[in-house]
Amino acid sequence: MESLAQVAIDAAKKAGAAFADVRIENTVTTIIEMSDGVTKRSMASRLKGAGIRAFIDGAWAFGQTADLTPRGVRSTAASVAKMALATHNRIAERFDINGPVFKDEVRMKVKRPFEDVPIDEKIGFVKMIDDQARGFDKRIVNTRTTYGDMWTELYIANSLGTMVYIENSLPRISSTVTAKDGGSRQRAFKSVGVKGGFEEMETKRAQTVGETSSRLAIGLLSSVAAKGAVTDVIMDPVLNGVMVHEAFGHACEADNWPAHSTVLEDKVGKVVGPEHLNLSDDPTLPSLRGSFAYDWEGTKTRKRHLVKKGVLTELLHSLESSSRLSMEPNGAARAQSFMHEPIPRMSNTFMEPGDWGVDELISDTHEGVLLCEFNYGYTEPAKGQFMFQASYGYLIKNGETGQMVRDVSIAGQILEVLAKIDAVAKDFQMDAGTCGKGAQMVPDMSGGPHARIRAVPVGGM
Amino acid sequence: MAQRFVELAEKAVKAAERLGANQAEAYIGTSRSFGIDVENGSIKSASERRDAGCGVRCVVGKSIGFAYVTTLNDDDIDEAVRKSIALAKASIQDPDFVSLPSPEASYPIVRGLFDKAVEGLSPDDAAEMIVRCVDAAKEPITKRRNSIQAELSVSSGTKAIVNSLGVSQSAKTTSALIDSYITIKENGDQTSSSEYQVSRELKGIDPEWVGRTASENALRNLGSKTIEGGEMPVVMTPLAVATVIGSGFAGAINAEEVQYGRSYISDAIGSQIASERLHIVDDGLLKGGVGSRVFDAEGARSQRTEVLKEGVLRSLLHSSYTANKDKVSNTGNAYRPSYAGTPMIATSNFMIMPDRGTLDNLVSEVKKGVLCMNTGDRPNMTTGDLSAMLMEGFYIENGELRHGLKSTLIGINMRDLLKRVSRVGADTRATASMVTPSIVIESAKITSG
Repeated sequence: MESLAQVAIDAAKKAGAAFADVRIENTVTTIIEMSDGVTKRSMASRLKGAGIRAFIDGAWAFGQTADLTPRGVRSTAASVAKMALATHNRIAERFDINGPVFKDEVRMKVKRPFEDVPIDEKIGFVKMIDDQARGFDKRIVNTRTTYGDMWTELYIANSLGTMVYIENSLPRISSTVTAKDGGSRQRAFKSVGVKGGFEEMETKRAQTVGETSSRLAIGLLSSVAAKGAVTDVIMDPVLNGVMVHEAFGHACEADNWPAHSTVLEDKVGKVVGPEHLNLSDDPTLPSLRGSFAYDWEGTKTRKRHLVKKGVLTELLHSLESSSRLSMEPNGAARAQSFMHEPIPRMSNTFMEPGDWGVDELISDTHEGVLLCEFNYGYTEPAKGQFMFQASYGYLIKNGETGQMVRDVSIAGQILEVLAKIDAVAKDFQMDAGTCGKGAQMVPDMSGGPHARIRAVPVGGM
Repeated sequence: MAQRFVELAEKAVKAAERLGANQAEAYIGTSRSFGIDVENGSIKSASERRDAGCGVRCVVGKSIGFAYVTTLNDDDIDEAVRKSIALAKASIQDPDFVSLPSPEASYPIVRGLFDKAVEGLSPDDAAEMIVRCVDAAKEPITKRRNSIQAELSVSSGTKAIVNSLGVSQSAKTTSALIDSYITIKENGDQTSSSEYQVSRELKGIDPEWVGRTASENALRNLGSKTIEGGEMPVVMTPLAVATVIGSGFAGAINAEEVQYGRSYISDAIGSQIASERLHIVDDGLLKGGVGSRVFDAEGARSQRTEVLKEGVLRSLLHSSYTANKDKVSNTGNAYRPSYAGTPMIATSNFMIMPDRGTLDNLVSEVKKGVLCMNTGDRPNMTTGDLSAMLMEGFYIENGELRHGLKSTLIGINMRDLLKRVSRVGADTRATASMVTPSIVIESAKITSG
C-alpha cells in the first residue's frame, strides 16, 4: 500500500500539483438488525479504494478510484491534478499547505477481532438483546435491535513526506423499543458504542442495553408533552455534551474562518463565557468511539482546549486551515471514508467538570426542568443559532424533580448561551453519537457534567 | 453499458442460486458526479467521483442476507454473493416474508429522467454557471460585509436490477443541484440564508435565481428578534412544508412503521385524519420528477398512489414485503440510495395538491402569527409531537412581515397539525422528492426568548 500511495503522489506532482495526498482504505462492516425476534437485515460490506487530493496555489481537486492497481491510481492522481490546475486560474486567495511530517504505524490491539467472531455468535447476541427488550414488560409492543461492527485499515500519505498507517475497530449495539398502554404510545432508544473488538460487547452496559431501553420506554408512558416556556434548564451529562457540540463545537471548526461563516470569527482570544467554563475536544482518550491517533490527513492529534476559563483559545484544524490562519495544526481533519475529503471535525467533545454537587444543583433551582439524553440537534454557525432535543426530562419545582416530560427542544444563540451557564457540576459522563457535516457522517462522543442554563426557550405543545 | 450491468447482475443471481439461494437479487449502481465549490465568493475546489458497486440479496427459506462491494470486479461480486448466502443461512426466519417481486407484464414510460446536457456538462460550463450564481448573489448585498458559499454538482448514473423470478431492468438518470449560502454582517449583527434547486435537467436550475434569492432572504433576516409567545397561526413556505408535512407525515404512513406500531398513524385507512383541504398523492410517474422512476428499488413498477383525499387516508406507502404482509397491492415505494443498502420504504414524488393564492396572499390573511421559512426539525414519529425551531422565520402583524425571528420554537402534535391546515396555496415547488405549496396552520404553540 505504501508504494501505491507513493505512485499516486508522484503522479499528482508530475502533473503539476504543489501538494497532494492520498487515503487508501479497506473497511469491512457487518450490520445485523432484528425486530420482534426476527432478522430484518443482515448485511456485510467491503469498502475498498483510494481518495486523492491535489492542490495548487489555493485550488483543490478531489477524485477517487476503486481500481487499486498502480495504473488505476496513477491515472486518477493525474486527472485530479489536472482538475486542480484548471481550477487555480479562478481562485481569489493564494496560499500554501504546510504541516509537520509524520511516519508511523498504529496497530489496534483487540482481544476479539470481528472477523474471528462467528456470524452465529453475533446474531445470537442481537437476539439476546432483542428478547431482553421484549421480555422486559408486556407493554413493549415492538423491539428493534441493531448491531454494527466496522474494521478499517487506512494508509494516509502526502507530498510533504507523511506516511501513516492506522487501524480502527468500532462495535455498536442499539435498542429501539415502542411501548403502548391504552392510547399512549412511546419510543425509546439506547446504544453502546466504543472503540475496540467484540469483547467490548461483553460489558454489562452492552449486555443490558435492551432492558435499559425498555425501562425508559415504560417510564415515558406516564410522561406528558412539555409546555413551551422560557425557563431554567439543568442538562444531564449526555445532553450537556450535545449542547457543547451543537452550540459551540461546530462554530470552532476552523474551515469557518476563511469562509467567514461563524459568529466566532472575531472572538479568538476573547471572552465567550463565564470564567468557570472549560470546553474541550480530545481524540486521545482511550477506547472512545471518537478517538484516533492520527487524523485523516496524517497529522498527530492532541487534546484541544476550545474554551479555557471562558476564553476561546483553540480551533479545530485541518492542514489547510492551520496553514491559512498560521496556527498550530492539531489533527482535527476527518473524512467519512476514502470517498470523501477530510474537513475539520470534532472527536470526543465535552465540558470539563466544575464543583457543584448534582443534588445541590437541583435543590438550588426554584423552577425549571432537568433534561436528559438526546434525540438530535443541529446548528448554523454563520447565523449563530442552534437547537437540540432532549429525549426526556423532569419538571423541577422548589428544588425537587417531579413530572416526567418528553421530546423537549431548546433553541439558542451561540454567542449568548455560554454566558447563561451559571453552575457546573462535578460528575462526568460521555455518550456515543454520530455527527453529520457536509453529507459526511463520522463517529463521535460528547458529554460532560450536569450543568445549568438560565432562561432559555424550551419548546413544547 | 446498461446491458453489461444487467449481465453482471444476472451472473451474480445465477451464482447465488448455485450456492443454495431459493431466491436472489442483484442491484448494480454506477455513477459519475462532478462538483465545484465556491468559498467566500470565489471558486476553490472541484471534485469528480466515480462510484460503482453491487449489492446482493439472497433468500434461503424465509431468511434473508445482504452484502455489497464497492467495485464491479468478478472476485469482489463473488465475495458479496458468498457473504450474502452465509448471512441468509445464519439469520432467523421471517414468517411474514413471501417473495421478492415478480416481473411486471409492462412497465410505464416516464419522461424527463435523463438529460444529455447534465451528463455532458464540461467543467468550464459548470464553473460559468456557479459564477453566474455568485454574481447574482453579490448584487443585493454589495454594501454589506458578506460571504458567499455556493456549490454546483451534477451526476449521471445507471442502475440495473435482476432477480431470480425474472425481473431484469435497467435505467439511466441524471440530476443537477445548485445551492448558495449567504452570510452578511451589519453593525454587530450577523445572519445568513440559503437557497437551492435540484432537477433532472440542466435547464431546471436557475443559478441567478438561487444566488439572488438567498441574498434577499439573508437581508430580510437582519435584526431578528424574539417575540412574546402564545398560541398563534403559522404560515409555512413550501420548503418548511416539505420538511414538516412531507417528511413528518410521509414517514408516518410508511407501511413498515405502521405495521410495527411505531407510527403515530395506526388503523386509520378510510378515516378523516387531516383537514379536508389536504390532498396528497405519491406520484412515481411525474414527468421529470426528481423522485420519478420506471421501477422501484426492487424492480416493482412505479405508480401514482392517492395517499390523502380531502383529509381521508386512502393508502400507506408499501414495498413488496409490507404489501404481502398486509395482503394489499404493492405501491412500488421500495427505495435505496445506492447499491450499498437493502430496500426501505420512501416517497417517490410526495405531492401536496395546490389550492389557491401565493405565500404573500397567505401572509396577508394573518392578523398576528409567524412565518416559518425553514426548519430542520421533524416530529417524534411515534407520538407525533413536533417541537421545531424556526431556522428562519418572521413575525407577522396585520398581514405584513414585521421582523425576523430568533430563538423561536413551534410546538404542536402532528395529528393536530394535519387537522388545523386552514389554507393551502397554489405556489407548489419541487424539492428532492417533495412537491409542496405554502400552507397555513390555524394555531400552534410559539415559544420565543
